[in-house]
Amino acid sequence: MAALAAKGAALLPVRLSRVARALWGWRVQRGLGQDAGPAGGAGAGEKRDAKPAFTDEAVQDLLYRMTGLNLQKVFRPVRQELKPPKYRLLTEAQLQEATRKAVVEAKEKLRMPPVLDEREPIDDVLADDKVLEGTETAKYVFTDLTYATPHRERFIVVREPNGVLRKATWEERDRMIQIFFPKEGRRVIPPVLFKDEHLGTVFQQDRHEDILNMCIAQFEPDSADYIRVHHRTYDDIEKHAKYDLLRSTRHFGGMVWYLVNRKRTDGLLIDMISRDLLDDATCLITLYHMLHPECQSAKEAEEGKLHGIDLIKPNSVFAQTEI
Amino acid sequence: MVQLGSALLKGYRGGHVVIRFALGGCTNRPFYRIVAAHSKRARDGKYLEQLGCLDPLPNAHGEKVAGLNLERLRHWLGCGAQLSRPAEKLLGLAGFLPLHPMTITNAERLRRRRRRAQESDAPPAEGGSQEPSAAV
Repeated sequence: MAALAAKGAALLPVRLSRVARALWGWRVQRGLGQDAGPAGGAGAGEKRDAKPAFTDEAVQDLLYRMTGLNLQKVFRPVRQELKPPKYRLLTEAQLQEATRKAVVEAKEKLRMPPVLDEREPIDDVLADDKVLEGTETAKYVFTDLTYATPHRERFIVVREPNGVLRKATWEERDRMIQIFFPKEGRRVIPPVLFKDEHLGTVFQQDRHEDILNMCIAQFEPDSADYIRVHHRTYDDIEKHAKYDLLRSTRHFGGMVWYLVNRKRTDGLLIDMISRDLLDDATCLITLYHMLHPECQSAKEAEEGKLHGIDLIKPNSVFAQTEI
Repeated sequence: MVQLGSALLKGYRGGHVVIRFALGGCTNRPFYRIVAAHSKRARDGKYLEQLGCLDPLPNAHGEKVAGLNLERLRHWLGCGAQLSRPAEKLLGLAGFLPLHPMTITNAERLRRRRRRAQESDAPPAEGGSQEPSAAV
């Protein structure tokens, strides 16, 4: 990992500072509050029991336990300006206190980015003035610059050359908001790196975590590009069984959620068992049963009241039916 | 130290607040700032507040970008500011105000001129070639 970070990255400038990640965390909370991901917020209580959402307490707890907490990896050196290391002399108690604080900070860094459904395209016509047809050659994009309005509620309208006054599409909105209210780590025009043909190069260099961090900085969580890049990354990881790249990062929960929803957990389960992470394996199977209660192994577990290590014993139903 | 600030401020006789465009940019590259200023001030001089901007040249996506701080615009209009004609036309295009009558008039004049040009092109072509012309 250190070698990777030190490699002269012509392709991927790891510019994302902790400040930006902390900012994103704050926006995540606001975003979740406002948008109430359609997966979970579909409202009625019985629907929530039937299909657990990404944001449920139990699900988040399971995903967090599976993510692991490798302090060495979480706090590995990020490309920033070079400062000589500082050494401190601590007593046993002070060292434990420092470790505890480090764990709290790591928990903050490991907060999972939201998983939302793709946003509906906007097509809303406000006015149609046919008199204006042919007078202009280019369209006008008007942005409301009131400082206090949240970006989701900002008015951005487009007057087309044929006289139609319509609301701007999501891409136009994102571009205008980035022009007038720039966010750190985000570009007005998304980098070419996010196109499908170039993602392959990134995956060959094993830089899945970096591309996901860049994706979080660049796109909104419910945009099509965000979802596409994330799914492509998870597919590649699953194809080459590189699960360890994302372990102990904040993307692990999202990857597990994606795989469990599509019932492609075999490789992950084998990887966990081979690394002797049996607790994680039981968490994974518990999550699987929560999401697919109609499958055979879930029913057996329910009847037999299986917990913990019994779930993954070789003669258990899960091993026979799912793998 | 003697404070001379208020004595140095320009005092006008008459005049009112206007919301108009202040030109900036470079040669062959205009850029307008939508600005609330005294009417007697220079066009690009000291203003009370900037309320937005307009880039008259289309960008790479073929759009002319304009930003308007509607909240402050409403405040100045409430204080009795007047609008310049280009500002009124721009706000009419934006949908904040109704379309300016001159916009509609100019559009109709342009359409009439184009139609007349088309008609004056068609008859000489017919007269000259002496052929039944295809539908234009």
